[in-house]
This record gives sequence, C-alpha cells and structure tokens, in this order.
Amino acid sequence: MNDPYSILGIPQTAHDDEVKKAYRDLARKYHPDNYQNNPLADLAEEKMKEVNEAYDIITKMRAGGGNSNYRPNNGYQQQQSSAGNPSFARVRNMINMGDLVSAERAMMEIQTKNGEWYFLTGSIAYRKGWLDEAMQNYNIACQMEPSNMEYRQAMAMMQRGGGAYRPRGQQQGAMDSMDCCTTLMCLNCLCGGNGC
Amino acid sequence: MFGYVRPIQPELKCKDFDLYKATYCGLCRSMRQRYGLLAPMFLNFDFTFLTLLLWQAEEKPCTCRGRCHANPLIKKPMCEDSPALAAAADESVILTYWKLRDSAVDDGLWRGMPARTLALLLKRSYRRAAALRPAFDAAVQENLRALWQMEQDGSSSIDRTADTFARILQAAAPKGEDELQNRALEQLLYHVGRWIYLVDARDDFQDDLSNECYNPILCRYGEEGNDDALRLTLDHSLNLAYSAFQLGEFGCRSALLENILYLGLPLVQRSVFEGSFKEIKKQKIWRN
Repeated sequence: MNDPYSILGIPQTAHDDEVKKAYRDLARKYHPDNYQNNPLADLAEEKMKEVNEAYDIITKMRAGGGNSNYRPNNGYQQQQSSAGNPSFARVRNMINMGDLVSAERAMMEIQTKNGEWYFLTGSIAYRKGWLDEAMQNYNIACQMEPSNMEYRQAMAMMQRGGGAYRPRGQQQGAMDSMDCCTTLMCLNCLCGGNGC
Repeated sequence: MFGYVRPIQPELKCKDFDLYKATYCGLCRSMRQRYGLLAPMFLNFDFTFLTLLLWQAEEKPCTCRGRCHANPLIKKPMCEDSPALAAAADESVILTYWKLRDSAVDDGLWRGMPARTLALLLKRSYRRAAALRPAFDAAVQENLRALWQMEQDGSSSIDRTADTFARILQAAAPKGEDELQNRALEQLLYHVGRWIYLVDARDDFQDDLSNECYNPILCRYGEEGNDDALRLTLDHSLNLAYSAFQLGEFGCRSALLENILYLGLPLVQRSVFEGSFKEIKKQKIWRN
C-alpha cells in the first residue's frame, strides 16, 4: 500500500486536526451519495476504501492522539429489489457490470412491459448518459407503480439534476466577496458615507 | 467546437492564468509547426481545455518564449512541445476539416463557398493528421455521419443527437495506461461534449426557428422551448462531468480546470439562456 499520508494529500508532520480535515474533505468528495447510479461508482468506492484505510493506519500509528474514532458511517448499499422476473435480475447484473449492449439486447427480448421494464430501460439510458430518455422512462415506471420506492428515488434524483461534490471556493455564483463589498458600500451610504 | 468552454479570468490565480495563456499559445505554436500558417486560424478555447485535460498529471509545465503568430513582433511565453499539445493540434485539424466539409454541404453551392475553399486549403494538413490519429478520424466521420442522418430525419431526441458529438469528444482522449484515469476522462469528456452540443443548440434556437432549420431542442420541446427541462438536463450533465473530474488526476492543472468546469461552464450556460452569450463571445480573455 502507498504512503497513507500521500493518499490523504498531507505531509507526515501534519497535525491531528489537519489529518482529520483532509480525511473529511476526501470522504465528502468520494461519498457514495455523489455517485448514485453513476457509471463510475465503483471507482469512487475504491478511492473511498483507500482513503478509509489510510486514515485508519494514520490514527492507529498516532494512537493516543485521542481522535481515532472519527469515521462517518458509510452504510450505503445500492438497493436491489428484483423479486419476480429472473430476466430482470439478469439485466440488473449486466447493468451493474457495465455491459450495456447485452443489457439492451436482453431488454428487447422481454415482452412484459411493466414498471420494472421502464425502470431498467431508464437505468440503461442513464448509464449511457442519455439523461432525457432516462427521465422519461423513470417517469413512466413511477406512473405504472407509484408505490415503488426505488423508482421514486430514481425519479427524485433526476429532478434534482443529480449531485456532485464541489470543491471549496468553486460554488456557483462565487461572487460572494463582491456582494459583501456592495452591501458594505450600501451600508456606508446609509450611515452617511464619510461623515459616519 | 465553438468557444463555450472558457475560464473565468477574475476568479483565476495569476499563475493559473499564465498557465492558461501559455497552453493556448503553445497549442497555437504546435499547430503552426505541424500544419503551417493556416491551421492556427482555427485555434480555440475548447481545444485549449482539451490540451489541459490530456496532459499527464505529473508533468510540470515548461515554458519557453516564442514569437506570437498573430503579432510576430512580440514574444510570449508558450508551453514547450508535448504529447498533449500534439494530440490536441492533430485532433483540432481533423475536427475542423470535417466541420468545414459539413457546412459546405449544408450551405449549398454559393453560400458554402468559403467553407469549401478553406476545407480545400486544409486538406493536406488533414491527411497528415488523419494518418497520425486514425481512430479519432474514424470516430469523427462515423458520428458526424450519424448526426447528419438524424438531422435529415428530424430526430426529436436530444440524447441521441448530443450523443454523436459527445462521442467525438470522448474519442479525443488517447487511451493511457491508467484505467481509472481513462474511465474518468471518458465520462468527463462525454458529458462536456453533450453539454456543448445542447448549449450550442439552445444558442441557435431563435435563428433556427426563424430560418426553419433543424434544431434538436425545437424538435424535442416545440416552438415554445422548455428552458427549465433543458437547464435540468444540462446541470445533470455538468454534475456527471464533475463527479468524473473528481476521480481523475490533473496535477498542477487542477485549479485551472476547476475554474473552467465549475465557474466557466455554468456562467456560459446562464448567458446562453439569457441570450447574452454573443456579447461574452466577443470579449477576449486577454489582450495581446
């Protein structure tokens, strides 16, 4: 395994707080919530594992430092609810393996077009990056089986426009400092400008 | 490509701004050295972005001073030759050539004259570039043909039309040894490509509506358009590009790329929806 410090991107001399901060930032970056249904979810998971291991090693090495217990709970598992039709279970497997061509072919052969069929068609489209068609199919799946949580979650994710980690200082509309200045200037005017 | 992918200068650190300029000038020099005086005319911000992505993460930028192509009286810092610059230069010549050929066909005998002439002048350069990057050349031809067919059929799918352009951009990343980096780059480029295609379609929406030309957004959402739905799908593509970007390694270019992706693209998107992009397009990022 590589140097745990370089995995967290900090020098060996880093203070405990810095270690914790670096770990938190990376954990936020690779958090599974940012990679729901994402074709790169497996890569993010690997990175997350690496980061967790590195943090564990460092905290163990520094045992007695008093903060070795911090570790957010990542009990996230992709839901798999493929009761019933075994062909759908097969398609789910293919999608998870990233074999979209076979998955599409298998879907063509399935005659029963129920909610799950539309949901899986949507999932394949999503994996290909065809977001509009994914949304249309998820929508039909939700209309056919409104009580299915999995379909509704997928639809909700589409309506949010997905999600991704944003590094510090790169927030959208990052002109906050300017807004702050304008506010101060306005306040200054209200207070009577220079005479204040 | 069309200049939609640009950094936001006021938010850049000076060193990142210098890096951007040196990359831009380095790409220009690389095109001139490889393909002569005409090729640098087609230099643009999108390919500068591509160059930044293609660089090996551990490679530090080396700059030298060279004469500016636009103004040979002055010398400027430029990145020295590297595989990333060479790849971007070759691919830019290939894509430009096929886009010129496309517009020559679309615009008819008379109006397509300028495009046809330029394509003819660029033909020798194109042949050389295509011989160096046969896979990219094949991907461009295949996808532009598919796109042309969909335009003829009046396809109402924004996914399928955008898919062709996204695949072209995806093909622009030569396969490296690191599988993780390859996959991250592929997804990043796919969604940036999808975004560029749809933003361009939205930008042309009014013109295409009045000229009765094909426009995927027109066919998908009708004459009224549907900016909310389009914005949602564009934001989603950006989010997928961001999540891919976070998994890749970009070394000292990360901060600059972050500026382009997280600040530049959303700003351009907003201005295209507001109809003010034409103004931004005219602005130079820097002066000579």
